[in-house]
Amino acid sequence: MNQSSESTTKSVFEGEDTIIKVRDLHTYFYTDLGISRALNGVNLEIPRGKVMGVVGESGCGKSVTALSIMRMVAKPGKIVQGDITFFRKDKKKNDAIEEINLTKLEGMGPEMRSIRGAQMSMIFQEPMTSLNPSYTIGDQIMEAIILHQNVDKVEAERRAVEILDGVGMANPSLIVKRYPHELSGGMRQRAMISLALSCTPAVLFADEPTTALDVTTEAQILDLMRDLQKRIDMSIVFITHNLGVVAQMCDYVTVMYLGRVVEQATIDDTFYNPMHPYTSSLLRSIPHVGSHQKDRLKPIRGVVPDPYSKVKGCPFHPRCDKAMRGLCDVKVPGLTVVGKSHTVRCFLHSDVEEESTYVQ
Amino acid sequence: MSNELASINRDELLLEVKDLKKHFPIRKGVIRRSTGLVKAVDGVNLYVKKGETLGLVGESGCGKTTTGRTIIRLLDPTDGEIHFNDPKIGWVDLAKMERKDLMQVRPHMQIIFQDPFSSLDPRMTVQRIVSEPLMINKLATGSELQDRVAELLRTVGMRPEYMSRYPHAFSGGQRQRIGIARALALNPKLIICDEPVSALDVSIQAQVLNLLEDLQQDLDLTYIFVAHDLSVVEHISDRVAVMYVGRLVELASTENLYYSPKHPYTEALMAAVPKPDPRKRDRPIKLPGEVASPANPPSGCYFHPRCRYAKDICSKETPPLKEVAPEHFAACHFAGELKLRGVLA
Repeated sequence: MNQSSESTTKSVFEGEDTIIKVRDLHTYFYTDLGISRALNGVNLEIPRGKVMGVVGESGCGKSVTALSIMRMVAKPGKIVQGDITFFRKDKKKNDAIEEINLTKLEGMGPEMRSIRGAQMSMIFQEPMTSLNPSYTIGDQIMEAIILHQNVDKVEAERRAVEILDGVGMANPSLIVKRYPHELSGGMRQRAMISLALSCTPAVLFADEPTTALDVTTEAQILDLMRDLQKRIDMSIVFITHNLGVVAQMCDYVTVMYLGRVVEQATIDDTFYNPMHPYTSSLLRSIPHVGSHQKDRLKPIRGVVPDPYSKVKGCPFHPRCDKAMRGLCDVKVPGLTVVGKSHTVRCFLHSDVEEESTYVQ
Repeated sequence: MSNELASINRDELLLEVKDLKKHFPIRKGVIRRSTGLVKAVDGVNLYVKKGETLGLVGESGCGKTTTGRTIIRLLDPTDGEIHFNDPKIGWVDLAKMERKDLMQVRPHMQIIFQDPFSSLDPRMTVQRIVSEPLMINKLATGSELQDRVAELLRTVGMRPEYMSRYPHAFSGGQRQRIGIARALALNPKLIICDEPVSALDVSIQAQVLNLLEDLQQDLDLTYIFVAHDLSVVEHISDRVAVMYVGRLVELASTENLYYSPKHPYTEALMAAVPKPDPRKRDRPIKLPGEVASPANPPSGCYFHPRCRYAKDICSKETPPLKEVAPEHFAACHFAGELKLRGVLA
């Protein structure tokens, strides 16, 4: 668990400044059925001030990655190995960058609690279940402001109204007095975004923020997020399985499969030059609107193996059309740089092998 | 709309819905007095041809699901006609039929539900679930029943050996296959697919969509495909109906509806779809506001408060659904005049 010296090196994304670097992250859930290896050595970088999409089928570890970085993994889950480095820019100290190893902090300790909510925030999929039904919208936003910004109630309410106005909510001074059930789905998601942005975080994790919404509302929320991202220059980690949303929103894409990152690339490379067979199969399996396409869809055969089992070799090889016998089913490929801002974990593109790092 | 339908041979149709209405009372107080009406479906006209897939799209709360369920009489309509071309007894009006008479027609109409987790009884084995429609209609017993269930499971791509298991042992995609097997048990003509893939993972969606297409070919099925995902609907549908606050605003072939829409709402809906191509990022049309409440809809055309082309007449008169091009229907005062953008613009 020693701090690696390379954590201060340049980003894999050319010309970008890294805000969060995750190295060999293993998060396991110790359940009655056995150990569920949700994250199995995740390596990824989040660029500062950009939008990064995280895609993959359900159960590939997208949400657990975000929760691990936020240090919100609850029992029976545990981060068993790896480093999460947060490069905090301090505006008071001339933008000096401070390196914080989040895995070394106590998940519910004072340092982590001062970071969570203030520096890092999260938006969840279902706004109805993530807002507290027994407090007004205003109370919930004010709570975060008072906790992190050392202001009184009157000032906090003024700021809450201002934030709600900023997310395009009509009548913000009325909305602060409303309860979540009194708002529509789109308005609730706007309230949730206000809450997450109340302390102008440096990193925002958006976990399927528009999946529960209609296309028209989704388009409104996406516009809003893009606007806000430019205005307060934050990094957004956009977790979704909707590739249309990824194409419209993101600058970079991280593709995950079975608790690992299999490809990281720019948005254009992801769609026009995908290197990992999993990425290209995902793209082929969805119907493309406006393609006049009437041919059959090409689903990825098989299903994601359950996280309790161990797959020998590359985790994707049982479903991969290009799997090479004697190689892919034996050895695990390592994450290698294959081009400008493009890394992939596949033997088709490199011979680099990874030591299997299962922890019991 | 029926007058304009003269050009279509009635024998080619399987279903014709005229002015269908389904209103739900809003009840308040101790004695549950009715204080208003939610007009979930308020005058829907449509027709479905034999062997085709009709997509039914719209925002949540627009009445898509209610329309689907009312057509097969899972809900009793408030008003209107539902003509169904029964393969044995010919045209019947489902809206006027008594419950016991419906039993004769029901086998020809089935439904696949959205959520494969709540639509299968967790205490029944797969065999019970799939054989129940056969038992109720007294179509098979004993080993014959077992064989039929095995055959149905094979049809949907599942191994018959699994029939003694319970739903919890299966993944979402497999459960949806079980739901499809149950719907197929009585050799139906019409299947209402109510968001059948929206609860499934992307890669599994493709498997289930392909299965539905294969079954349609092999078994000569007709689908009404209710969904909000416009890319899925484009892929699977021959024709598409767009709903807004309980009414149809446009009905046309998929090609015409997606590439040359005639109703401003369809245009805005198409513009909102996030296109899976990072090189096409501009979105020229924005749709402000939210869907009107079906309990308290606006005057005139329900879409006028959000419509960028709205004029005075739009807030006063309700535009009827009229044929603006052959088999292309739109409910807009300016349907023929406006130059609207399709999904690619």
